[in-house]
Amino acid sequence: MTTRDDTRRLVPPGFLSNAGRYPAVAIIALLLVAFSTVSPFFLKLGNVEAMLGANSVVLIAAVGMTLVFLTGGIDLSIATVISASAVIAGLVMAATDSIVLGVLTALAVGAGFGCLNGVLIGVLGLTPFITTMATQLIARGVAFVLSQGVAVKGTPYALLDLGFVTVLGVPAITWIALLVVALFVWLLSFTTWGRHVMLVGSNRAAARYSGIRVSRVEFGVYALSGLLGGLAGFVSIANLGNAIPGVGDTLLLIIIGAVVLGGTDMNGGEGSIGRTVLGVALLAILFNGLNLIGIPFYDQLIVQGVLIFVGTWLAMTFGRRRT
Amino acid sequence: MTAVFSVRGLTKQFAGKRVVDGLDFDVRAGEIVALVGENGAGKSTTKNMLCGLLEPSAGQVLVDGVAVQRIQPQAHGVAAVHQELSLFPSLSVTENLCIQALPGHAARIDWAAAERTACEQLEFLGIEIDPFAIVESLGAGQQQIVEIAKALLSADRLLILDEPTTSLTAPEREKLFEIMQRLKARGVAMIFISHFMDEIYRVSDSFVCLRDGHQVGTGSLAGVARGELEHLMVGRSIDETHRELAAPTDDEAIRLDSLDSDDFAQVSLRVARGEILGIAGLMGAGRTELAEAIFGLRPCRGTVSVGGEPVVPLNVATMMSRGVCYLPEDRRTHGLFLNRPVRENLSAAGILRFVRRWLPGFGFRGERVEALRIVERLAISVPHVESRVADLSGGNQQKVLLGRWLATEPRACLLDEPTKGVDIGAKFDIHTRIVELARAGTAVIVVSSDLPELLGIAHRIAVMRKGRIVGEFARADFDSVNIISLATGAAP
Repeated sequence: MTTRDDTRRLVPPGFLSNAGRYPAVAIIALLLVAFSTVSPFFLKLGNVEAMLGANSVVLIAAVGMTLVFLTGGIDLSIATVISASAVIAGLVMAATDSIVLGVLTALAVGAGFGCLNGVLIGVLGLTPFITTMATQLIARGVAFVLSQGVAVKGTPYALLDLGFVTVLGVPAITWIALLVVALFVWLLSFTTWGRHVMLVGSNRAAARYSGIRVSRVEFGVYALSGLLGGLAGFVSIANLGNAIPGVGDTLLLIIIGAVVLGGTDMNGGEGSIGRTVLGVALLAILFNGLNLIGIPFYDQLIVQGVLIFVGTWLAMTFGRRRT
Repeated sequence: MTAVFSVRGLTKQFAGKRVVDGLDFDVRAGEIVALVGENGAGKSTTKNMLCGLLEPSAGQVLVDGVAVQRIQPQAHGVAAVHQELSLFPSLSVTENLCIQALPGHAARIDWAAAERTACEQLEFLGIEIDPFAIVESLGAGQQQIVEIAKALLSADRLLILDEPTTSLTAPEREKLFEIMQRLKARGVAMIFISHFMDEIYRVSDSFVCLRDGHQVGTGSLAGVARGELEHLMVGRSIDETHRELAAPTDDEAIRLDSLDSDDFAQVSLRVARGEILGIAGLMGAGRTELAEAIFGLRPCRGTVSVGGEPVVPLNVATMMSRGVCYLPEDRRTHGLFLNRPVRENLSAAGILRFVRRWLPGFGFRGERVEALRIVERLAISVPHVESRVADLSGGNQQKVLLGRWLATEPRACLLDEPTKGVDIGAKFDIHTRIVELARAGTAVIVVSSDLPELLGIAHRIAVMRKGRIVGEFARADFDSVNIISLATGAAP
């Protein structure tokens, strides 16, 4: 109950616990200050542009992963679905030179894998971890078999341009990612579907007892996660110039790391797309900054790991009430 | 007799708030003290201080007259049986009993000795449970007994029992009381926490009554009438005995025609609008299964009709669209979204009501206002409608769940143990709400193991045994002895 003491406090009650829900903010602020002091290039326009472009793929996929996390599941296949849809879309575009067909193919391939996950998990009730791990293997296999292990050439020139075009100083592919973010922020906050996603993640059984069609909601999030993986695959072609069969291989842990660092709970029912944007930004700034000051890739992995510890610890310590 | 445990000025603060404030009472050897009070009165905090889980902020506990800073359960011979069982479901009874101090040494456990200890303990308590049985294969009642046996292995001076009877059947309850008497004779002091006044009067010698963290009364139970004690607990008068029920209508609201499944058989019932039908029976009689089947949560054969029309197909969505609601027995696992705010919990069963007609997909209009209205109407005590439900007390959580369904303005309600684990004040409020609901023309089916509850609020009671309806009583013929003997299968 709100007592007089609470209303008089300078810092509103629960302030700390709310701050703890966004562990990324504090870390981002710290990194921004640190990197901009150490490296003169860090805040340069060119660098920021490069950072945004390179992370659009991760951001799109991380939105999909967030949806799955919110229902209490996990989608391990999303990264290699990026590869598979990039490769297949790349092949289609090499054969037809049609960007439209390329987009549609990428989305269809992604949605196909997503629906497979959705049916197995939502309808048949298999465990998300195992199911999506299997899909991950399949998608990776598909990507390498169809591309014979090499980058697919013959990307339409118009698409290559897309990777360089900026609108209002922001790369076009980043705009695509931001549109995806906006779309899902809206879906989660303002639609019945979004509410159902949160409730299913909070308590699956209670959702069923309240008349929410749990399997439909679960199917939906995996299908959408796949679809976003497909879109990310297409965007990766624009970003890198070619469809690369191994493009997603290193992304999975970055995607999961970003969602976790953002503060979305793996157990479901707690989190948001906004937090994931923060998480992606955090890792993007981190890797970019470390590159600028000349830290090698493998050392960066160590830093990333430690950071995930710190972020999770912060969220756990300040984000939840102790009983 | 001198006190084994004395509590002097015991106080606990959380974040500056005194949850327990200045308790003073004694527990003597062989005495059973009932710790009573509403949910949130401070019983759990007191219990946790007495069994060493929490350290008091002020005041002290004296063990044999010696003040101790914090109770050491093993050293001071204290153990608590908490509401949530702490057994390992996949291990055997023996393993569970001896897990705290396995005989032998780290590398090789002396299982023979462990078995001996377990058998002796079970024998001493007069329990016939196979020491090799896997705990999850036992019934809820037997598990509770194993829990008590386990607690007593590590403590023999003070045993704290927190709501030990909520999941027990009547015979199991008797068994528990028998065990308590044995322990009493052996000089074990006990603190008994329960919401059931009958049980409190049956087993306890004295009482300590808490309200809002303060001790509002203590003494021998013999001198205190039940109404007085209830008044002391709640701070207002509660009269469950003189409840006025409105006469039901003749309109049929819900009808079951020979429902069949693995858990029940040939169930046919009819409930009119404005009627409250109680379903009595023992645990395992198939009552919850029946209620869930009616709501479309489990497969069954037969027909369920609402308002005279059969519901096809029988599933949760169709039942809800016909205006039927179901309040599950286990609110934490089947009812509440614990990490979501009160507002979302209240609207969970009918978010579509708030979708903007001209702008679907742009938020939920009036959701918050309605949440505030329900909170006010059901007198739910919450810090805020945006507070997480996990932070509420049990009674208020139950009211949130009830509020969720009442907000859908149901035509028929299935309520499964609507006051389980709820204190008498909240229980009274919930009963009042149910009776009002019926008065407004809703058909209500109440499944309850609390017979006095059904006797108080039902127009009619159907008795279930082993999956069949074995009898029906109209309000004029209510007789607890007959109902119990019918439910247990004993000759009247």
